[in-house]
Amino acid sequence: MTARPEVTHPPRSRLGRGGPFPWLLPVGLTIALFYLIPILDALRLAFTDASLLGREARFSLDAFGAMLGSPALGTVLRNTGVYVVASVTGQMALGLVIALLVVRGERHRLPGMVAVRTIVLAAWVIPGIANGVLWQMLFSEAPFGAVNSTLRLIGLPPVAWLSDPGMAMVSVILATVWQGTAYSMILLYAALRTIDETLYEAAAVDAATPLERFWFITLPELRSALLVNAILVMVMTLNTFDVVIALTGGGPGRATEVLALHTYTTVFRGFDLAGGSVLAILLLMISMLAAIGIAAALPRGEGR
Amino acid sequence: MSGTMVRGRGARIADAATYAALLPILAFFLAPILWLLSLSLRTQREVFLGAARFIPQEPTLANFTRVLTQSGFGTYLWNSVQLSTLGALGAVAIAAPAAYAFSRIRFRGRPALMMGILAVQMVSGLVVLIPLYRYMDRLGLLETHFGTMLLYISAGVPVTVWLLKIAFDAVPEVLEEAAFIDGLGRAETFVRITLPLAAPGLVSAVILNLILNWSQFLIPFIMLSRDAKWPISVAIHNFSGAATASTTQLLAAACLMSILPALIVFVVLQRLIVGALTSGAVKG
Amino acid sequence: MTLRPTAPAFASTLALAVALAGGAATAQSGDLVTRDRVGPADAGNVLTFRLTAFDLYSSDPATAEAFAGFFTDMILQHPGWRIETQLQTGAIAQEQARIIEQSLAGRGPDCAMVDSSQLAAFKTAGVLAPMNDFYTEEELADFFPFVREGITDAEGNVLAHWWFTDLRVLYRDTSVIPDAPETWDELQAAGLASVEAGFEGLLFNAGRDEATAFDWLAHFWAQGGELVDEAGTPVFFEGDNREKFLTAVQFYADLVDSGAAPRRVTSISNYDDMLAAAAAGSTAMFIGGNWMFGQIQNTLDAEAAANWAVSPLPGPTPDQRATGTGGWTIAALSDDPGKVAICADIARLYAGPGNAFQRLLPTQTSLFAEFEAFDGPEFDVFVAALQDGVARPGVAIYPEISNQIQILLGEVLSGASDPETALDAAAAAVMAAYARQ
Repeated sequence: MTARPEVTHPPRSRLGRGGPFPWLLPVGLTIALFYLIPILDALRLAFTDASLLGREARFSLDAFGAMLGSPALGTVLRNTGVYVVASVTGQMALGLVIALLVVRGERHRLPGMVAVRTIVLAAWVIPGIANGVLWQMLFSEAPFGAVNSTLRLIGLPPVAWLSDPGMAMVSVILATVWQGTAYSMILLYAALRTIDETLYEAAAVDAATPLERFWFITLPELRSALLVNAILVMVMTLNTFDVVIALTGGGPGRATEVLALHTYTTVFRGFDLAGGSVLAILLLMISMLAAIGIAAALPRGEGR
Repeated sequence: MSGTMVRGRGARIADAATYAALLPILAFFLAPILWLLSLSLRTQREVFLGAARFIPQEPTLANFTRVLTQSGFGTYLWNSVQLSTLGALGAVAIAAPAAYAFSRIRFRGRPALMMGILAVQMVSGLVVLIPLYRYMDRLGLLETHFGTMLLYISAGVPVTVWLLKIAFDAVPEVLEEAAFIDGLGRAETFVRITLPLAAPGLVSAVILNLILNWSQFLIPFIMLSRDAKWPISVAIHNFSGAATASTTQLLAAACLMSILPALIVFVVLQRLIVGALTSGAVKG
Repeated sequence: MTLRPTAPAFASTLALAVALAGGAATAQSGDLVTRDRVGPADAGNVLTFRLTAFDLYSSDPATAEAFAGFFTDMILQHPGWRIETQLQTGAIAQEQARIIEQSLAGRGPDCAMVDSSQLAAFKTAGVLAPMNDFYTEEELADFFPFVREGITDAEGNVLAHWWFTDLRVLYRDTSVIPDAPETWDELQAAGLASVEAGFEGLLFNAGRDEATAFDWLAHFWAQGGELVDEAGTPVFFEGDNREKFLTAVQFYADLVDSGAAPRRVTSISNYDDMLAAAAAGSTAMFIGGNWMFGQIQNTLDAEAAANWAVSPLPGPTPDQRATGTGGWTIAALSDDPGKVAICADIARLYAGPGNAFQRLLPTQTSLFAEFEAFDGPEFDVFVAALQDGVARPGVAIYPEISNQIQILLGEVLSGASDPETALDAAAAAVMAAYARQ
């Protein structure tokens, strides 16, 4: 019972004694009150024929058949996969690069690092409604479109940013990455700042190259932050549709229609509450699977 | 303090490389913002030129003054400040104990519970919207800032638990162990040792919550139908104009002004993180 | 203690916010019109009115001032009443869904602005109160036929006052295209001629937006096509309608394939894009809304603006014409007669002096004569075109039909699908949704 300076597990077992429940209570209550009750209600709606237009809802399984049997669903799911994988990868990679550069800049007291972070953040806080206006002007295919005019200046051919089905997806992903990168940047920046400097000093003694330092120190130390970041950004991106709706509305055709937008259209254009609930369950299951997949792909070291 | 070493030529090249790498990234992030600025400085007439003109020929600040003076903009901003701040602080306060338990206490079903906490947030807000509206109606919380704030808090809690768990993970247990030996209870250890040491993580969590709350649209939209209670994230849609009357220039000005408070808070709080980190470094 | 540096910054932000809030409040007090009220604050009876931010609370001071005057005149006719005003934002789809949801929960406004394209949803939800008793026979007979049909239910009740309408017309730069194209063929030829003259051809909405479906429907309607039958069942994909539908799709496809219209039309989902092109001088012809006439006058140099003219949308033949007509309505959601009466008077002020001020198209013939604002030659074109006006069918399935038309046009024009296949897919999707309504 006396404190022995043993290296293995005693400290944790002592701190770990006692039930976690008092600690979990506030969160548990919040989730029960403000999530579970409405969510269960929403899930119940999936088994009805509920409409936004206030008809009395009756038990029905039709919504499942209609939503899951819709020929459009395959296209929508494929779009969602491309959109989410590319956007999440883009946001995390860019966020990590910016965080690394900024941390390096701050370590060497280079001026301008606050400005960099603030500009990236500004993209995140600009209301989504402005986003559509902005990117539509940038990607405009009119002879005077902003990006295409610039391309022409440097002698490159114009790009069909929004009217070509394939490019439209690229454009939507670019706009999403632009908007969402700040989140990853902030998280990874904070994680980078907590890495123990002595690790790098030891590496310096071993004459490690910058790439080696990144690969053998930074990445392993960031693992936990990257995992959480990947899951959170994935969940957010899966539920994102404001950028898409503002930029392409899901078009041309269905080329950029993602599941969240499909859900929105079902509920707010089709007034189909039951169908929307079915899609929400689908979205939830995809999120869960993806989260578990990410957790498995980025195994946590025996950290803490 | 590795910065004390003499900076050689290699370091200068590396500095240049840092800027060289940041330059295209900055261009990517700055370009749309500059377009927004361009729009906000235009007259109604020039706004219709859209992408056809970048630098306004007759730049004007009238859009900013108009947004500021007539549209209740100050009220919206103040509502946003209240809701976002209280929502962020509340979320962190509620999430912190649970995050601590997840970080320190080994118990059965912990990973599943953590995933479960996140799972509730994976449910599309679009669909929960209607049940939530009816539910808040039964609770009598519709049309109140109090009810809205509760939802901001609950919206932030799941992610915050995760963020704070990482922050607590980074605090060496040895330090708590020492406090424990000194006879402090676990709660006291948590408050007096862990929280201060995890300050950077706490502040990051507050920032993220603040900013997410600042741009929260769905919650205030369903909760509040009186415009005097709207935060700016809802009211900004006032400027979106109709098909028959474009007000893009006002929208741009309103957007730019609406992000200023969030940016100021961010810059100031980021200083805090850096400050907390350097003070925490004394620990060794 | 580390918190100290934040305090001043935060405080100054807050102080700024408070000062602004205070300033805004005092600037308007003492009036009969404030940010959330029309009429004396102490009036015993209250009507809640959910309005858009385009008029009484417009960010354009002149508009706001004019409407404050109209509202003041109106409320003085109703002593003992005040109107509690509630804004709706520009997030129209959510706003309208929220009004329905609130009304079903018994918390809705007494009177509200309802988008004419959403009127069917409101009717289906059964939240509208009849307004017949507050209109004379003459007033009702004065509405354009498509308007009267849109606001009347099966029992003959008038459920809303459709106070302004809009329509689609062809805009052209007469220095490039002197004569108005009358037919689809002439339109394509004119588009090609403008391309040869160095312009980008005919522009129209073909992106993923309601405007796309609605603009295109004119070409389907011009041939006598019908989206739904008498019972409201979708029929656009069968019988004669199928052929007409495919013909109208092919008309768009030919425009793009021939080069008379650029491929980028599938990225246009906003009338402002076309105005920008006109202002930049990149196009000489586009299909736009009637309201854009004024915008052209305000945006282009007087000399350039004078070149632009409007004409009715071309049809398959000169005699087969149609144009989609939209606009907004004001409807009563409370059946308290006192409130419905005021709601009807609010609608009248928008329909008459309000429209004259905003130069929006009234829905009653007599109003065009009553106000000078409608004297311009462009209004002659508009009124003539209104004779061929077709409104959206008043059925709750319309939004899904529109959605499928947007998808279909995008896929056909971008080459991802052919008209027949796309129509079959659209029909299947619409019928699946219809079966569940």
